[in-house]
Amino acid sequence: MRLTLARHPVTEIKFGDETSLDGTALSINESELRALLLEDQRLESVGLDVVRPGENCRAGPVFDIIEPRAKADGGSPDFPGVLGPSAIAGIGTTHVLEGAAVTVVDCRPTVTARAAKRSILEMSGEGAARSPYSALQHLVLTPRSRADVPSHSALNATRMAGLKAAVYMAQAARTRQPITTETLGPIGPTEPGREGLHRVAYIGQIYSRQRSPEIDEHIFYGLNTTGMLPVLTNPNEWLDGAVLPSYDTSLGGAETYFYQNHPVITDLYRRHNEGELNFVGAVASISGLDNEDRDRLCQVAAHLVKWGLNADAAVLTKHGGGVPHADMAQTARLLERMEVSTAVMVSDMSRDRRVESALLFNFPEVNAIVYCGGGDTKWTVPAVERIIAGNPQVEEMLAQSQELMASSIAGVVNQQGASHVRAMTY
Amino acid sequence: MQITSALPIAKMVGSNRVVLGNGIVHVAGDPNLPVNEEKDLRRRLVQKALDALESEAKE
Amino acid sequence: MKIVHYVNQFFGGIGAEEEAGRPLEIREGAVGPGRLLEQLFGDGSQVLTTFVCGDNYAVEQQDQLITDVLNHLRASGADLFVAGPCFEAGRYGMAAGALCSAVQAELHIPAVTAMGGENPGVDLYREELFIVDSGASASAMSQVVTRMVALGKKLVAGEEIGTPADEGYIPRGLIRDAFVEQNAGQRLVAMVMDKVNGDPFESEMMSTSFEPIPMPAAVADISKARVMVITDGGLVPSGNPDGIEGMAATRWGTYSIKDKDGLDGKDYEISHGGYDPRFVEADPDRLVPLDALRQMEKEGIIGELHNEFISTSGLANPLSNTRRMGKEMAQRVKELGVDAVIVTST
Repeated sequence: MRLTLARHPVTEIKFGDETSLDGTALSINESELRALLLEDQRLESVGLDVVRPGENCRAGPVFDIIEPRAKADGGSPDFPGVLGPSAIAGIGTTHVLEGAAVTVVDCRPTVTARAAKRSILEMSGEGAARSPYSALQHLVLTPRSRADVPSHSALNATRMAGLKAAVYMAQAARTRQPITTETLGPIGPTEPGREGLHRVAYIGQIYSRQRSPEIDEHIFYGLNTTGMLPVLTNPNEWLDGAVLPSYDTSLGGAETYFYQNHPVITDLYRRHNEGELNFVGAVASISGLDNEDRDRLCQVAAHLVKWGLNADAAVLTKHGGGVPHADMAQTARLLERMEVSTAVMVSDMSRDRRVESALLFNFPEVNAIVYCGGGDTKWTVPAVERIIAGNPQVEEMLAQSQELMASSIAGVVNQQGASHVRAMTY
Repeated sequence: MQITSALPIAKMVGSNRVVLGNGIVHVAGDPNLPVNEEKDLRRRLVQKALDALESEAKE
Repeated sequence: MKIVHYVNQFFGGIGAEEEAGRPLEIREGAVGPGRLLEQLFGDGSQVLTTFVCGDNYAVEQQDQLITDVLNHLRASGADLFVAGPCFEAGRYGMAAGALCSAVQAELHIPAVTAMGGENPGVDLYREELFIVDSGASASAMSQVVTRMVALGKKLVAGEEIGTPADEGYIPRGLIRDAFVEQNAGQRLVAMVMDKVNGDPFESEMMSTSFEPIPMPAAVADISKARVMVITDGGLVPSGNPDGIEGMAATRWGTYSIKDKDGLDGKDYEISHGGYDPRFVEADPDRLVPLDALRQMEKEGIIGELHNEFISTSGLANPLSNTRRMGKEMAQRVKELGVDAVIVTST
C-alpha cells in the first residue's frame, strides 16, 4: 500500500471570486462553500472566518481542527465511511494544503463557558507560541444547527461541515503541481530487505468506552466503535482519513489534524525510511467498559502486534483519562510478557503534581514512560480584539483576560504525541 | 469489600476483597435487561459481595 | 550571610551514642561542620548559632526541640537554616527534617539539609525540603557541604532551583512541566528504540508503588451484621448539598436511605466527571444497590442495613486527598458500629 502526500504550502487564505490556489495563496469562493455546507438541512447558518498566525484572535470551543486534504482520482475516497463509501484509506495521491487548517467551532447553545475552556484556538501570545496550530492559516467554521436538531446530530452536522470544507478547499490543489511529494509505504512484516532491524508497531487507542458513543459518531471508517475489537491497520489509513476523534473533546486531546499528521506514525516512518527500524504496522484499539471487555481488548491488541505484525517493539498511546491509561498499561504488560519491548505515553492524572499520585498503574515491566502534558503550565492571556465563539456565553468568556491552562489551548497538550511538554521530576 | 469494574486499579491499590461489577457506567446494574432480570443480577452481585465479606480467601 | 546550624551530639563534638540523650545546647558561632559552612559561604558569612542536640533527645522530645529552636531563631535575623549533613544517621535525619520543615513553614527562613538516600528523614521530608544527597559516608563531607552551600545561596537569593541532577538534591517527587524540542511522539519512539536495543533510557515518569494492605478479618455471620454502602461513583442528592467536586474531590457526604426500598433517579444526581452518568441517574440502585440490600435485610440475609450511605467521587484525585478521606470515612464507619462495608466503584 502506497500513499503519496502531494504538498502545496499555503501562506494565505482569502475570500475571492473563485476557489483556487494561486502560488501559496488560497482563494475561497465564500458563497459557494457556504452553499455546499448548507446542503445539510440540519444547519441553519455557517460562519466562515479567516484567521492568521499572530492575529489578536481567540476562537472556541474547538470541536476539531482538520488539515485540508483532497484525494486525487484513482485512489481511496476522501474520509471513507463518512463522506463517501467505506473503502480502505491510504492508497494513491492525497493533495495537502500544508500550513492551512479548517477549525470547527461547536456552536451548540448548551455549551457552557466552562466546558468551552477545554479547547480554545489561541493565535497570539505566550500560550499560542506552544501550540503548532497558532502557526497555521485557519478557516474557522461556525456551523449553527436548527433548534430542533438533537445534540448528537448537531455534532454530526458540525463534523460533516468541517470535513466537507477541508476537502473542498484542498480540491483547489488537485490541478496544481505540488511543491513537495512524499510516498509512504509499502510497509509490513513481510516487506523484504529489512532483516536484522527491530520490528516496531504502533498501538493507538482511538476511543474509550467510558462514554457510550453516539449512533452517528464517526470514529473508524464511519463506525462509532460499538462492539469493535482492536483492528490491524496500515499506518497510511490513519494519515488518510480512516480515523476521526470522538465528539467528546474532553476525553482525548486529539484532533483530526494530528491523525493526518500523526506524530508517532510520522516519526516511525522517518526512522523506517532512514533504515533505523522496520515499521511493521499499526493497531487501532479501544479502552474497555468493564473488566471482561478490557481483558478482551488488551489481549486482542497485544496478539495482533505479536502474531499479526511479528513486532519486537511497540509504542502505545491512549485516548482519554484513567481507564484508558490502565488499559494501555495492561496491553503493554501483555506485550512485555510476550517479549515485545514497549514504551507508553501518559498524561498526568494527578492534581497535586506529585509523582506518587501521577500514575494509574504499577507494572515494573512498563517502565518506559513518556509524558504528554498535565496541569502545571498555565498562562495569563490578555483580552483579545477578535473573538469567534460558539455561543454568547462562550463569547463573553473568550473575550476576557484570564488564566488558561496549557490543556485549554488546542495543540499544547495532545495525546496523539504533538505535545512538546514533558515532565521533569523535581 | 469492593464492587468495581476497574479491577486493575483495585488490584494496584491493594484492595483485598473484590467482586467484579457489571461495567463502569452501571456497576450494579444493566440497563439492557428487563427490570426484573436487572434486579436479579443486582441481587446476585450483592450476594457475592456478602459472601466475600464472610470469606477469608480472595475473590 | 547569617546562618544558623543544627548538628547532633556526634558532629557537635560531645560524644557518640553514649551522649545521645543530651538535651539541646545553644552555642555561639560555628561548631564542627559549621566551620566548613562558613568557609565555603565566604564573603564574611558567619554561623551565628549552632544548636547541638543528642539524637535520642531530639526524637523523644521533638516538639520541645522545635519550640526551643524556633524561639531562638525568631529574633536571630538569620538568613538561612542549615541542618546536618546527616548521612545515614536516622534519628539525626528525622530531627534535621523536622526542624527544617518547621523553620521554613513558620519563620519563612529558607532551610537546607543533607541525608543519604536511605535515611528515614528522606521519605518524611523530601517533598517539602531541599535535601542534598549526601550518600552514606561522612568522608564526602566537603563535597556535600559544597552542594549545600550552593543550594543555600540560591534559596536565600530566591533564585530558581534547577533539577535534582543539576543541583544535587534528592528528588522531591514533584512533577513540573518543561517544554522541549522533540514532541512526545518522537520521544516515545526514541525511548522504545533505546529499550529494545538494550541501551539506557530515562523514563519521564516513575511507577507508583503501594504498600500491601493486610487482609481484614472476615465477618463471622453476615446475617447478624450491620452493613453499609460507600460509593466513589459520585451519587449525591439533587443539588449536591455538600458540594462534592466531580473531580479531585476533597469532600464526602453521608446521605439517608431511611425508609427507602430503592433509589429514585429524580432525587439524585451524579457529581463525577469520569464516566457516563446516564444509567445511574436513571436508576441509582445501579450504583448503590439499595433495592437488593433492603430485600436481603427483610429476608434476614443481612442483620441490618445502615440507614445512610457515604458518597464521594473518585476521579483524578491525589493520594494525599484520598488517604485523608478514606481515614475519615473509616473513623465514621467505626463510630456508627458498622460491621461490613460494600464499596462500589465506577
